[in-house]
Amino acid sequence: MVESDSGSSSASENVNKKVKQEVKCGAQTTAKPYKPSSADFSNYYEYFMPYKSIFLWLNHSQVPQDDFTKREFAFEYKSGAYQRYNSFENAKEFRDTVVKAKPVRFEVGAVYPVAPKLHKTVSKSMMKPQMKEFVLDIDLTDYDDIRTCCSGTKICPKCWKFITLAIKIVDSALREDFGFKKLIWVFSGRRGVHCWISDYRVRVLDESRRRAIVEYLDVLNVKSKNKAGISLRKPYHPHLERSFNILRDNFVDVVIREQDPWRFEDRYKELARNIPDYRLSSALLKHWKEDPSSSSATKWRDVDRLYDEMKVKSFNLQDWKREMIFKTMYPRLDVEVSRQMIHLLKSPFCIHPGTGNVCVPFDPTEKEFNPFTDAPNLSQIFNEDETDWAKTSLKGPIDFFNRYVNQLVKDETKEKRAREAEKTELEF
Amino acid sequence: MVEGISKSDGKGFSDDLAKYPHRLSFYRLPPTEEITLEEFETWAIDRLQVLLEIESCLSRGKSFRETGAIVNTMLNKLLPLNTPNKESSSLFQERKKDHYSHFILRLAFCRSEELRKRFVRAETMLFKMRYQMLSVQEQRDFVKSIDLPWQEVSEKERTEFKDELLRCSYNAIRSALMQTVEYQRTQRVTEEQINNYLISTKFYKLPFEYVPELVSTRQSFIHMGYAYVGEFQRLSLIANEFGDFLMGQLKATMRALPTLDEDDRLVPVLNNLSKGYVSLDYKLNGGYGEDANGSGDNSGITAESVGMYIKDMPLCMQNLMDGLKKDHHLRYSGRQQLSLFLKGIGLNAEEALKFWQEQFTAGGVGSMTVERFNKEYRYNFRHNYGLEGGHIHYKPWDCRTILSKPAPGRNEYHGCPFRDWHRDELSFNLQKLGLADDTRLNEVLDLSEKGEYQTACTRVFELLNKDRIDDCLKKGVKIDESSIVHPNQYFDRSKYLDAHCDKQSS
Repeated sequence: MVESDSGSSSASENVNKKVKQEVKCGAQTTAKPYKPSSADFSNYYEYFMPYKSIFLWLNHSQVPQDDFTKREFAFEYKSGAYQRYNSFENAKEFRDTVVKAKPVRFEVGAVYPVAPKLHKTVSKSMMKPQMKEFVLDIDLTDYDDIRTCCSGTKICPKCWKFITLAIKIVDSALREDFGFKKLIWVFSGRRGVHCWISDYRVRVLDESRRRAIVEYLDVLNVKSKNKAGISLRKPYHPHLERSFNILRDNFVDVVIREQDPWRFEDRYKELARNIPDYRLSSALLKHWKEDPSSSSATKWRDVDRLYDEMKVKSFNLQDWKREMIFKTMYPRLDVEVSRQMIHLLKSPFCIHPGTGNVCVPFDPTEKEFNPFTDAPNLSQIFNEDETDWAKTSLKGPIDFFNRYVNQLVKDETKEKRAREAEKTELEF
Repeated sequence: MVEGISKSDGKGFSDDLAKYPHRLSFYRLPPTEEITLEEFETWAIDRLQVLLEIESCLSRGKSFRETGAIVNTMLNKLLPLNTPNKESSSLFQERKKDHYSHFILRLAFCRSEELRKRFVRAETMLFKMRYQMLSVQEQRDFVKSIDLPWQEVSEKERTEFKDELLRCSYNAIRSALMQTVEYQRTQRVTEEQINNYLISTKFYKLPFEYVPELVSTRQSFIHMGYAYVGEFQRLSLIANEFGDFLMGQLKATMRALPTLDEDDRLVPVLNNLSKGYVSLDYKLNGGYGEDANGSGDNSGITAESVGMYIKDMPLCMQNLMDGLKKDHHLRYSGRQQLSLFLKGIGLNAEEALKFWQEQFTAGGVGSMTVERFNKEYRYNFRHNYGLEGGHIHYKPWDCRTILSKPAPGRNEYHGCPFRDWHRDELSFNLQKLGLADDTRLNEVLDLSEKGEYQTACTRVFELLNKDRIDDCLKKGVKIDESSIVHPNQYFDRSKYLDAHCDKQSS
């Protein structure tokens, strides 16, 4: 089902190039930034990319139907060119086009009323997205105000913990609160994860309801506001209560000890800014100025101490601390990615062009995902075998994805029958 | 639908109240009987007046309750729906007028996306207000008449999710209890009262898709794809359904419009109706806004001196000035909000370009070059002054425009601080401005929390300028005390005080 013929075609010569090891983030780090060459991409698209699985995942049936044939794909090229409105009749055309075009990555978008490749032949008003998976995008760059170990595109095992926590919190809300069953997490290849939800119910949602779900999850309202605190209604909503219980147990280790953010001047100033009492805030700043590099643990205690000493009454310290725990650790989501139906997102099993990592899907309920050991890199898999994916470390992720997709197709067929039966019933 | 000559005078109809079994209506069925041209026009205008008043309240940031109080008098006069103990023929007439006027306005307001949105917004608000006027029994009967896939939450589930249901309804119950006579007496709400209320409240569950607002604001318990909605939250659900339904109907009406056999006499009436739906434009008091278009300013404000006027600016503009100073840049919405405001206070095009260029290129090493500024931003600022593109005279944004834009994102400074800032951040910044008195401060914070942003802003102006206002009043200088609805109004009032008062602002 997956293209895996072994042939004599020229495998990449760059494969065995020495890879510079980045040692910035501590000894454990094994992420090898590896810039894949165009020969690498050719080889990967020819032998490794599981087109049929992706086809089934998006089509929800063995036989090509609108879910796939009217689905938008976008290609991004090495030159930076971005080509929208591609669509394919079946898995073979999909494969042939990708192999030929050799984009550095391709993205998956919505299902339209007409095949997107025909978009020029119809009026603009026809090109309104009809259906799409619900997607979530969590990215470590959005944590730059709290992490101190890395910034920008860099990650390390310390800051990856934020992502692990985010997955835990979002996954339970999606399953327990919204009752979604068909969801899959995908490593984005460098510093974050995507989640794709394929339940029929969510595929047909309009934007206002997509917004409702993502706002439900987006407690910090982080993209629209990154300045001061958040206001959490008390008592906490069950989703917040559950999330808080997960975060609280990690706060001391992940934030206070490992990130230790408040030993830096700009960060502790931000902390002081977050204190709603002007007097206390100024007093703390004055105190910290005398010993700016004291640890975050000390500063966290200073807040307690001065709050008591100054007999501050204007706000509740315990509530404030709870809010700080949310503010530092609660998942930071890209609301627009989830809300907009026209938004495209990188497909699973693409290669991250900057790292050479494969964007592999994973199951967080089985095992926490570790990007330093669980994300196969192009340089690594080509070392294992140049043409047979089943002999490489890509086998695990592909097998997992196939199991997931097969179940999805099976359930969808059953549900579709039920939906149609109900429809006929209504018509008579 | 309309006959030139009234054949009926109300007598030809079957005065059957069964046509309108409830006071409130979802307006599912269009009218089928004839009315006079005069009725057609007056009924529509009466309803339009009510909707315009509602819209005006919404745009002034009035709360639900305040809007009710303001609109009620007008509603009773123009579009009454009396309690069912009146004589049935007058009830029939009222309900008929309500029914017909709604459908006439649908014809007038289905014609553009903008008109549809505003119509739905105002009609939904009217619907909500009227729902609140119904008796509990009427509410239950009405709810029963709407076909929604909800089921009552079983005892078993109520016990299983007791904590979750309490968490989600605690505040709603609390404020419901604060409306009671009991509370007037005791001034407190006990946990026991809340628990009892919870026990006596019916809960319904239905697919979460039906209550997007309750989902996004986390106001109801969501479990396995169902939203658990308390009786007291039903209004949100029904109103949402009403708005969605009406929007769908308006779109259908628009598509059907070309095929409708419209009476020639109606077209001008309908056109006039939709034209009547204009929003209020703020006229700048000081008058410098109007001729700030080109170079003919008389304000004397220059690129250098803008900074001296920060104390005269409302918080939203101060925030933008701060952001600009900090980042040496502003994103699009911020640029628009601030540059049109500055235009309004009299910064002319030439000085404005100078000001923005200086600000954008002031970042020191590695900052934006003058070339890049000219390439990427010059056009934008000239455009705002009507010197490029369509040569349109853009007006400074009023509060309503500002509040209608998306909330500011990361590193964005536009919007309204009273809406966008968290209570603590707002508190902190107001203290920095000099609002030290806790009671006054809390008053402003409470206003913002209630959504009365313009009133909060007006209050801040009054508090910061208390001495100067008192001084003016003592001297008999006239002071405009109406609510501020436009940032330039804030500025103008501050300058007005400067001109009429010897004291400096605090």
